Amino acid sequence: MRVVIAEDLALLRDGLTRLLRDNEFEVVAAVADGDALVTSVLLERPDVAIVDIRLPPTFRDEGVRAALTLRDRSPDTGVLIVSQYIEQAYASELLADGRGGLGYLLKDRIMDVDDFVAAVRRVGEGGTALDPEVVAQLLSRRKPLDVLSPRELEVLGLMAEGRSNAAIASRLVLTVGAVEKHVASILAKLRLPPSSEDHRRVLAVLAYLREA
Amino acid sequence: MRTLLFLLASVPLAALALGVLLAGWIATSVLAITPLGVPALVGFRAAAGGVARLDAELANRLLGTTARPPLQSPGPSGFWNSGLNVLRDPAFWRQQVYLLSSLPLGFGGAVVAWSLLAASLGSLTLPIWYRWNAPELDGWHVDSLGRALLGVPVGILGLVILFGLLRLLDVFTRRLVTGSLDERPGGPAPSRQERRRSLTAHAIATGAINLFLIVIWAVTSRGYFWPQWTLIALGLPLAIHAWVVLVEEHPEIAERQRISSTLAVREGVALSFSVFFVLVWAVTGAGYFWPLWPILALAVAFAIRAGREFSRRGQRISELETTRAGAVEQQESELERIERDLHDGAQARLVALGMSLGMAEQKLATDPVAAQELLAEARRGTREALEELRSLARGIHPPVLTDRGLTAAIEALAARTPVEVDVSVKLPKRPPRTVETAAYFVAAEGLANAGKHANAGHVDIGVRADGGNLVVEVVDDGSGGADPGGNGLRGLARRVEALDGTLAVDSPAGGPTTIRAVMPCEW
Repeated sequence: MRVVIAEDLALLRDGLTRLLRDNEFEVVAAVADGDALVTSVLLERPDVAIVDIRLPPTFRDEGVRAALTLRDRSPDTGVLIVSQYIEQAYASELLADGRGGLGYLLKDRIMDVDDFVAAVRRVGEGGTALDPEVVAQLLSRRKPLDVLSPRELEVLGLMAEGRSNAAIASRLVLTVGAVEKHVASILAKLRLPPSSEDHRRVLAVLAYLREA
Repeated sequence: MRTLLFLLASVPLAALALGVLLAGWIATSVLAITPLGVPALVGFRAAAGGVARLDAELANRLLGTTARPPLQSPGPSGFWNSGLNVLRDPAFWRQQVYLLSSLPLGFGGAVVAWSLLAASLGSLTLPIWYRWNAPELDGWHVDSLGRALLGVPVGILGLVILFGLLRLLDVFTRRLVTGSLDERPGGPAPSRQERRRSLTAHAIATGAINLFLIVIWAVTSRGYFWPQWTLIALGLPLAIHAWVVLVEEHPEIAERQRISSTLAVREGVALSFSVFFVLVWAVTGAGYFWPLWPILALAVAFAIRAGREFSRRGQRISELETTRAGAVEQQESELERIERDLHDGAQARLVALGMSLGMAEQKLATDPVAAQELLAEARRGTREALEELRSLARGIHPPVLTDRGLTAAIEALAARTPVEVDVSVKLPKRPPRTVETAAYFVAAEGLANAGKHANAGHVDIGVRADGGNLVVEVVDDGSGGADPGGNGLRGLARRVEALDGTLAVDSPAGGPTTIRAVMPCEW
């Protein structure tokens, strides 16, 4: 899988490059600002771009803006935002188009290397990877989620993070069959159309949660 | 035709305008030595606006303009301010210019145009009426049809000239009406150029009307030089106008005298009136120097205003000293808190992390299981250190506030608190950075208070513009008893006071608690 990295701090840029190369990714470019990111993505057409939010020159939200540009101009490239902060405002802007191939994670999550690598891969394949903090804020908006059992809520949270049924099963120490049953029940209770495909199901759940 | 009608109608209107102008300025100047000068000026302003509106109405009907001159001058309220507002109102001065120029323009235009019309029509119809009343030009009798027919081309030529003249007058009047009577609402303070243009127009108009009256004087009696009165009466407003523009364009005039620009305007007005009185004294025979008394009254009034300004300034200085000391101290204790948080938190965690890593290194060969345990511990420690640093950084300045403004920042704050929060931010635009940050921290502190001490279940956060202020209000339904002298609220009050704002905490035992900050903010 081909990756482009945009991160202004050399220490983190190099660390991330090494980590991804060790995990059999091909890092085709590692740049330090938003403009260079857009240029190199349009040139290389990678599977996924890993983007920091605060980039030169203003160190504000360049990463988010570059990500939105990329989603427009290179729709097949997945965009994974990694940042020191989770801000709901950014999450909403990124999720607004309702498409997959998107991730927004705290940089802390990189320390769980296996989990992080799986998230990069998922985003590259058109899936989603949302930070538990984003999901918690989405869930906290007091939607009519009372109809769900605590276990179902837990499954819903992991689903919203973008995880597959198999990943949820291993996380909750359940069989895949049991998870599938929970998922079917959640979709029925929230009146969402059943779908066999993980990514599409996640997007439906996110759209539902964002409707608040 | 419409232009002709307009010219006809503007003759009496122009006379009325001149009357209002002269009466207004004379009344204002006579009353200027008493506080009654202010209502006189405000009334005069309304009267001048009324005449201007009448004129504009006529122009709108006949010439197709869309001017609607204002009757009042905007600005801060208050008795003394209302007078200053008039003098600082560019619309007022533009109306003066219009009314002044409408006399020579309307009168001259009407006389020329209507005479030309009559003469042309007369020439044109000469072949019809020469029989009954044969006119004579320089001993040349129009007594045959052949001669009378010569009048036809002359009449046509006259009409053509009249038509051209009317077109010219039409364009000129329309530009004058649009340029000087159109209201310019909502715009920012008048630009330097605009102010200067209005002053130039005023000077030209004053000059023109005086010239016009002097010409009338010259061709009529040539006796008593009565135009001196209009010279003086119209010179006074021109002098005041010039002074107002001068002070607003050159703030250093007020700065050099160490007074406010308002006081500098008053100073110029008092000086203009003094000169006016001296001139009136001079043209009325220069007998007993009575202007001494009004000048003395003006000087006393000015001295009182100046005295008030100086005492107000003294108050302001001591207020600034207090709030500045508060702000500095607040900053100092804030830095101290950050240092302590770093020392006890992230730094300590990094030390522990280093220890775990060191031990893991030691045990790697002998006891790999224990080493792995230590590494996992190190990772947990890293995450905790990061979380702490994040919340510390957010407490210093939340990045989303700069990027997305108050609504997003306060909503993010609300999403992170377990309490139910309703956020309503209604602002016409983004406030200045310092005010925005202070408003954010009022919301943050109020929310923290509600969650920590008051056991609140619901919090309302409202941010809105109120006149020249920004108001932040945090209301919770908790048990009350918030201590305004406590660390958090005291620091908050200092932050708000440093921006000339006020923080009010109302928290009776048993609740509810209302924290309300009001900060001045230009919109």
